[in-house]
Amino acid sequence: MSYKVSEEGNVATIHLDGEIDMDVTEKAKEVIFPHIDAGKEVHLNLSNVQYMDSSGISVLIESHQKALEKNTKVIIKDVSKSVLKVIMMAKLEQILNLE
Amino acid sequence: MSEIAHQDHTEKKAFLVNSSSLKDVRSFCREVFQKLKIHEDLKEELVLAIAEAAQNIVKHAFKNNADANELMVVQISCENNKLQIAFYDRGTPVDPNKVKHREIDNVKPGGLGTFFIQEIMDAVEFRDGKKPWINHLVLTKQL
Repeated sequence: MSYKVSEEGNVATIHLDGEIDMDVTEKAKEVIFPHIDAGKEVHLNLSNVQYMDSSGISVLIESHQKALEKNTKVIIKDVSKSVLKVIMMAKLEQILNLE
Repeated sequence: MSEIAHQDHTEKKAFLVNSSSLKDVRSFCREVFQKLKIHEDLKEELVLAIAEAAQNIVKHAFKNNADANELMVVQISCENNKLQIAFYDRGTPVDPNKVKHREIDNVKPGGLGTFFIQEIMDAVEFRDGKKPWINHLVLTKQL
């Protein structure tokens, strides 16, 4: 997994790239969580993530819940068809902020 | 059910029991499913189910602490359009009665892997592992 982060005002945009599985979840958390902890609104762009397993879904849930605690939000953008299918299988499409 | 008659075929491969093997498990599955001409959408669902089962071996049967040379074996068989995926490992014996996913409406991190496997596959069965194996999991799906 690789990533790219850009910041503008109170928004941190994070592009993840690759397959998100158990092997990279700690790295994904290290990239995402500090921005949430800093109170930033996080735009998580998943257009280049073609595979995500339950560990990756857990990172999305944890990010969402952490953001609620910090009175901010995580918006998941440009999710690929294959990852959307997994999000829907987990019945999270109404819980997570998808754009 | 698929209208395509998939050829009978069996392949198996051993992987080191650690999280960095999961991408290799997925690559192996994709290669075999390519040979079996399984439709792309179903292929990725099956890859997810298999990778989740392999992840459970790493995470639960070995508690993320397997010896460096410890192996798990994944065998994919297709016979009469029925797909069977077998997993063999030497981790802590699995009690099938304790393998449960979390309540899907109770949104929290974790507990989804088993749910995905059950959603995707027709049957999930723990069989007695024959030596040298301890756990023998079999997933089946009619194509």
